[in-house]
Amino acid sequence: MIFAAIIIVIVLIVGISFYNGLIAKRNQVANAFSAIDAMLKKRYDLIPNLVETVKQYTNYEEGVLTKITSLRTKATSGQLNNEEKIDLDKQIGTAISGMMLTVENYPDLKANQNFLNLQSTWTESEEQIAAARRNYNSSVTTYNNAIMMFPGSIFAGMLNYQPFPVIEISAEERKNISAKDLFNS
Amino acid sequence: MAGFRDDPVIQSVLQSLEGDRIAVAAAKRKSFIVMGAGAIIIALTVFLVSGLIWGYIAGGIVLIYGIVLNFKTAPAFNAYKNNFKLKVIGAALRDIDQSLLIEPDAGIKEREFIKTRLFDHTPDRYSSEDLVSGKADKTSFYFSEVDAEYKTEHTDNKGRKTETWHTIFKGILFVADFNKKFHGTTIVTARDLGGTVGSWIAKAAPIFFSSASKEVELENVDFNKTFITNSTDQIEARYILTPAMMDRLCELNSKCKNTISLSFIDSRVYIAFPLDENYFEPPLFKSILDPSCLERDIYIIGFMHGIVKELDLNTRIWGKE
Repeated sequence: MIFAAIIIVIVLIVGISFYNGLIAKRNQVANAFSAIDAMLKKRYDLIPNLVETVKQYTNYEEGVLTKITSLRTKATSGQLNNEEKIDLDKQIGTAISGMMLTVENYPDLKANQNFLNLQSTWTESEEQIAAARRNYNSSVTTYNNAIMMFPGSIFAGMLNYQPFPVIEISAEERKNISAKDLFNS
Repeated sequence: MAGFRDDPVIQSVLQSLEGDRIAVAAAKRKSFIVMGAGAIIIALTVFLVSGLIWGYIAGGIVLIYGIVLNFKTAPAFNAYKNNFKLKVIGAALRDIDQSLLIEPDAGIKEREFIKTRLFDHTPDRYSSEDLVSGKADKTSFYFSEVDAEYKTEHTDNKGRKTETWHTIFKGILFVADFNKKFHGTTIVTARDLGGTVGSWIAKAAPIFFSSASKEVELENVDFNKTFITNSTDQIEARYILTPAMMDRLCELNSKCKNTISLSFIDSRVYIAFPLDENYFEPPLFKSILDPSCLERDIYIIGFMHGIVKELDLNTRIWGKE
């Protein structure tokens, strides 16, 4: 009788700890995504200034600048789900990277201190977001492993926990950022 | 590097130092012979004419005279060593980069050594010498030889105390200004048995660890096989340890006999290179004109200076100049 009670208590303790562990891992994923979100917001704040400065010094395609501005407006609307946020961030990143490379043709802009500050802040935020994405992916992998492996899979089934997709990291992002590519210096 | 040795100024410095070396070596040799003679007299007294007090007295006097002679060589020996470091090593440093400077009597302070958080004990005996500092392009760095030990005391059942000294770290501690700003602490140490067990315990029983530092699970398999990473900020650790930086650290580590350890604190990188040898010391019983006598020192200077390039610390595009 005592033996059975001990077994039940052990099973209960193990069960509760697995259950709590799963919830903690799921919360960690949400937490990791909110870190990305916060960094994206910080980065979006740079866009109006960046676009204005580029406008002043170059005849860079008006259409592209308008597109960047409208993407930013959409990104900061607060009505997007996580996947849409990541997708929009990719579009904004690509558009800004293209713009950054084109400024090579504008020596006046390249010499502008305000622009240089914005450019290095942008690059810094890119690197920070890349780090936050890797942190998110690490949390997702830990969570996915936990819900797919026994005995976590039992609780995951009961709680209807589904695996999260990891954020794909582009080949450009894996590659080291080169100062030469960015500043041609 | 041949250019450095072929410089007429260095040639004349080496010739002059060779003269000093021969004089110091002769004086040292003489003192060793006298000390040896004293020891032999005492040994003969013990084994052949046991108990003859005059034998002990004569041996003792000769031994003490040898020790005095040896002490008397110290100023000339120190001057020879300092001249070698300042003039020869100094020139070798400038040959690599004009900004590089050696201060033979300076070193990394014990306070800074502890601050690196790379070592598990506070030193009871600490020494650091041969501080080399300078810049490699935009990045300032310095490094120094460090020897740190801690002691343990053991009392046996008769109440006798014995002291044992243990090495915390012996080698070169390298410090450079990191090219990114960060506020937390990230520590990268060798994934040896201690690291693995420590990590497992930390994971299994976080309640026992008051530190806010947690293990960072990184994506680079080779990096994870060699190192274990702990940080107070998971995102910041990844901001520092980018995929490219992890590859570079593996590459840097592959050039070292013993696994290196790193810490990233206050926007600086600290790298501990465990080494058995003592660097920047001139030869005493071997000619200073022998080209091989400088090879090791020149290699280590080039290696330390090359770290900045190897870790790409001059890329300053993250808002830190």
